[in-house]
Amino acid sequence: MAGEGAPESKEYTLEGFAVPDQLDAVHALLARAAGEHPELDPMDVMLFETAIIEIANNVVEYGRPEGEVRWKFTIRVREDEIEAELDDTGQTFTPERGKGMPGEDAEGGRGLALAEAVLDQIEFQRLGDTNHWRMVRRLGQIRGTDGLA
Amino acid sequence: MDFEEVDKGTHVVLAPEGKFNLVAAPPLKARIDDLVAAGKARLVVDLHAVDFIDSSGLGALIGGLKSARQQGGDLRIAAAGTQVRAVLKLTNLDRILTPYDTVEEALHGW
Repeated sequence: MAGEGAPESKEYTLEGFAVPDQLDAVHALLARAAGEHPELDPMDVMLFETAIIEIANNVVEYGRPEGEVRWKFTIRVREDEIEAELDDTGQTFTPERGKGMPGEDAEGGRGLALAEAVLDQIEFQRLGDTNHWRMVRRLGQIRGTDGLA
Repeated sequence: MDFEEVDKGTHVVLAPEGKFNLVAAPPLKARIDDLVAAGKARLVVDLHAVDFIDSSGLGALIGGLKSARQQGGDLRIAAAGTQVRAVLKLTNLDRILTPYDTVEEALHGW
């Protein structure tokens, strides 16, 4: 239980199947975390949401066996950062990191680049039989907000 | 996701709602392709009711833009909210998909 001593973070967790219908549950999980942390800047929440949904999309789209992959999302809000961890039971793979944004006329390939653009840390590891993502955005940064109101 | 469609004769306005994501993008892109194939290649996607877009939604817009231009038309976007504008800017797509403030502004020259 959260006491007077101010825990270092509060955790929000979601478990289920990595299927398209469950993406709404990921949005709802972050909305719950943000709702209980009114100090969070809506811009930070919005950009973090954009990033974690892109990573979730990847699991939904490419995780195999299709429809049978399970995932666990954990979101933690700390004083200076917001973190999400995603574990999924999909097949092993190697994400193509650091490729940058594809050309303007490309119809795909922007998901990971978009996540990388708004996160301060994004880590991927294969741990046993699960894929593990860790995504962090430091709060109050300008990353990804150039030219925005 | 549902989307509204209004055929104005000179152009068609499509108005998706809610999350324009990997669930919603394929049906909207399919509808755009049908419209373009039927000779309706001047399209406005009214985004006022979209509160979130992902890279799949962007892909549908780019695909629709290419289809429309190949047929001598265009696809323009209007009334994008904060998240949509942020994502367009982060992906540099605001260079080819100018976000017009209103549907009326998007119609210039048509």
